[in-house]
Amino acid sequence: MLPSPQHLPSPAPRSQRRRRLAVAALAGALALAAGGFAVSAQDNSAGASARIVAVGGAITEVLYALGLQDKVVGVDTTSQWPPEALKEKKSVGYVRALSAEGVLSLRPTLVIAVEGAGPPDALALLRESGTPIADVPEAFTADAVVNKIAVIGKAAGAAGPAQALAERVREAFVALDAQRARLPARKRVLFVLSTQNGRTMVGGRNSTADGIIALAGGINAAAAVEGYKPMTDEAIINAAPDYIVMMRHTAAHGSSADELFAAPAFSQTPAAKTKALIRMDGLYLLGFGPRTPDAARDLMGLLYPEAGIAVSDAGKAYAAP
Amino acid sequence: MGAILEARDLAFSVRGAALVRSASLALETGQMTIVVGPNGAGKSTLLKLLTGEIAPSRGEVRLEGEPLSATPAWQLACRRAVMVQNQKLAFPFSVYEVARLGLEGVGRAQGRAQKDAIVARALDTAGVIGLAERQYQTLSGGEQQRVQFARALCQLEAGRSLAQRQVLFLDEPIASLDLCHQLSLLDAAREIAAQGAAVLVVLHDLNLAVTYADRLVVMHEGAIVAQGEPSAILDDELLRGVFRVSLSFSRLPPAGQPFLLPQQHLSGLGSVVPMRAAGG
Amino acid sequence: MSLAIKPAAPSGVEALARLAAGRRQRNLVTVLVLAGFCLLLLLLSLGAGAFAIAPGRVAEILLAKLGLAPQALLDGREALVVLNIRMPRLLLGALVGAALAISGALMQGLFRNPLADPGLVGVSAGAGLAAAATIVLGDRLLAGMALKLPFAALPFGAFFGGLVSTLALYLIATRNGRTSVATMLLAGVALGALAGSLTGLLAYLSDDRQLRDLTFWSMGSLGGASWTKLSAVAPIVLPLVIAVPFLARGLNALMLGEAEAYHLGIPVQRIKAIAIVLVALSVGASVAAAGVIGFVGIVVPHLIRLSVGPDHRLLLPLSALGGAALLVGADIVARLVVAPAELPIGIVTAFIGAPFFLWLLLRRGRIAEI
Repeated sequence: MLPSPQHLPSPAPRSQRRRRLAVAALAGALALAAGGFAVSAQDNSAGASARIVAVGGAITEVLYALGLQDKVVGVDTTSQWPPEALKEKKSVGYVRALSAEGVLSLRPTLVIAVEGAGPPDALALLRESGTPIADVPEAFTADAVVNKIAVIGKAAGAAGPAQALAERVREAFVALDAQRARLPARKRVLFVLSTQNGRTMVGGRNSTADGIIALAGGINAAAAVEGYKPMTDEAIINAAPDYIVMMRHTAAHGSSADELFAAPAFSQTPAAKTKALIRMDGLYLLGFGPRTPDAARDLMGLLYPEAGIAVSDAGKAYAAP
Repeated sequence: MGAILEARDLAFSVRGAALVRSASLALETGQMTIVVGPNGAGKSTLLKLLTGEIAPSRGEVRLEGEPLSATPAWQLACRRAVMVQNQKLAFPFSVYEVARLGLEGVGRAQGRAQKDAIVARALDTAGVIGLAERQYQTLSGGEQQRVQFARALCQLEAGRSLAQRQVLFLDEPIASLDLCHQLSLLDAAREIAAQGAAVLVVLHDLNLAVTYADRLVVMHEGAIVAQGEPSAILDDELLRGVFRVSLSFSRLPPAGQPFLLPQQHLSGLGSVVPMRAAGG
Repeated sequence: MSLAIKPAAPSGVEALARLAAGRRQRNLVTVLVLAGFCLLLLLLSLGAGAFAIAPGRVAEILLAKLGLAPQALLDGREALVVLNIRMPRLLLGALVGAALAISGALMQGLFRNPLADPGLVGVSAGAGLAAAATIVLGDRLLAGMALKLPFAALPFGAFFGGLVSTLALYLIATRNGRTSVATMLLAGVALGALAGSLTGLLAYLSDDRQLRDLTFWSMGSLGGASWTKLSAVAPIVLPLVIAVPFLARGLNALMLGEAEAYHLGIPVQRIKAIAIVLVALSVGASVAAAGVIGFVGIVVPHLIRLSVGPDHRLLLPLSALGGAALLVGADIVARLVVAPAELPIGIVTAFIGAPFFLWLLLRRGRIAEI
């Protein structure tokens, strides 16, 4: 048998590595245990009064408008108005990616969810737990908004005040209709969702943008496409919009009117002549909640300055360049 | 008993190029057969044909009378073990584990203690038992070769209980070994042959081949140009023709052990008159 | 009479036997520690969550379900949360984690490369394409029939997609009964690219809503776990976990190379075929049930190899345990960190896995040829 000098350094023997792994594992487990039970130990004691979870930006808006905010214990991430909603209330995640256990942990007595909330598994589990879920239908018309308010109010047990609010909103829409009837030639409006990656996403027919443009008395220049879709440069030129409308917080980042109209597609549009770009807050414009008549009127005022429609301070504030 | 392995009229071509042309040979138990030849002569291809790794384009190989193509891998594994060159492993095995791989196929039925014993003895024979706990990756090329030898030995040992006669194939087993280990490995191979197995070794070193071979097989350009007892088949003309070197074939006292000395390197044209070596 | 392998010096054999025994003991300890750790995590997963339930109450509910305590204890939301939300979720997490880890180990054995990942074979991409198609086109196709898309459509669609891509892969890579690993790898890359581009096309055609759904699905989530989903996934994954150790020997021998494995008596083509099918099934089922979850197949087998070595007899079962533990642990994090919302689990595993992967690349040459 030949002796073999171990002149080559050998790596750490496996036993040492194993010990290290075991210690790490144990420490990890203990940390998890501490953390897990700490969270579990949160006080979630439910009060005797109603606890509502609102899923959908418009839902939250209506509840606050009805003065029911004290009853709201949780909102989803699209509930951006009023601003204190997401700050004060617990977030249950994105409207289409809810966590059943998360919602249940708020011990709700009622969940008001806009049509399209999900995932379906989570909603099924909520129903199974006996939590009442009020489904609110979604559509992008004046009647739909009025209906929404009524449905939400009824579900939340404030049918009376909701009727009043719905009535006010309906009257605002009626006034809007009258103003719209007096408009001169209709203008073509293109709603641009984003211009990232060189792709222009526009709001086609049956989208929320389509709805608000119609209410504001404009013609949707992108009616040829369905929903929010990309549009080629040539199609944009063909659409010949008189105005471009974008969301204020959109990251057409730093895309001022100058930058936007410098792009080849937009530079050939009628809108380019007057650098006609309107930017408004996204939820205000597209949320289809109680503020919609105001938003539509503000948009109308901006589109048809000659019509002399007063743009509200809020509208002006939101229409920041 | 007939030859344990018989190959008849083997040929193998790839895309029109013939790597082996019309090779026939027989391996007998108790004998060490060594295959020699220059680069590209087809030695490794012949080995692959004999082990069943590749199927011949023509001819057949029979092990214990049964054609290789008709024998399931498991049965083949009991009867023959193969050691090849250049074994790189992608994962960190220890030397012990590599040798033990030889038992994954046929050694299934062995008990744990038996397996350990076989591995220990094989590692010892290959001279690497002191490296048993080392990582295979960290060994030198020569040490890795010896571990592979041990692995083949493990397989042979395990198959012993299931097969009457066995063959051991070694493809250039001493390529990276130093002289001392070259000799001890070939000694071990010869012992195995003496114990009743048939051993086939592919070698480059003519002197070692001539020293250890009971039968020598000389290959040239895909064909077997000579086979038989070394002193009987080797002569100047053959050596010149095959190896393109002028060699003198001598015998050393006292046993008359054959010994080859290069006289002059032939550049391809013209010939050199071979000088008669002293002694012999 | 044994061959010429000479009887070694007794001290040599004994020393070796002692070393082997010591190693086996240490491995046993590792197995027990890992199993215990896994069990601990399962219990933790049952007890922790956004919905606060006292540990005692959890125990009561479990006992009641087993019939060892009054059934009245099963009333109420707490029981629902424990039995219908947390329990299927942790079981699904354990199964998916085990399946992904074993698939990783199988792939690495098959390709003899520590970086091989189930995603390479194109199965994940195929499953992803099927899921995208289900999300984007499903409503449209069924609208004509005035039907609504059943909830289970997505998982089954994804599984079907994974299976189809595996069959395509196998047919491309197998000739005359021989499967070429290199061809398979390239074909997997090509199929993955094709599936990816078709998925991109679908994303292009989707509306905003569908795009969001696609995005969330591609980040993985155990949130949709239910007993129904579990009953669809378990029959595929459990046999995998049980059958896989039978491949261990063949995979060990395959480490030396296909020719060598053949010489050792292993039915190489059969092992490869079985391994491929098992990988496809398990990855397809996992992706179908929980979306795309990455890095489990790379991280877990590697850690196991570091502690007990590359012998597949230990590697495969321990990878299953390790994968289950990793995913259940990651799920606990995903559920608690932004409670009452939850993080997609693919993000948590990527957070753990990506740095690990980089570390692996940086330390190459010390352990293995990568």
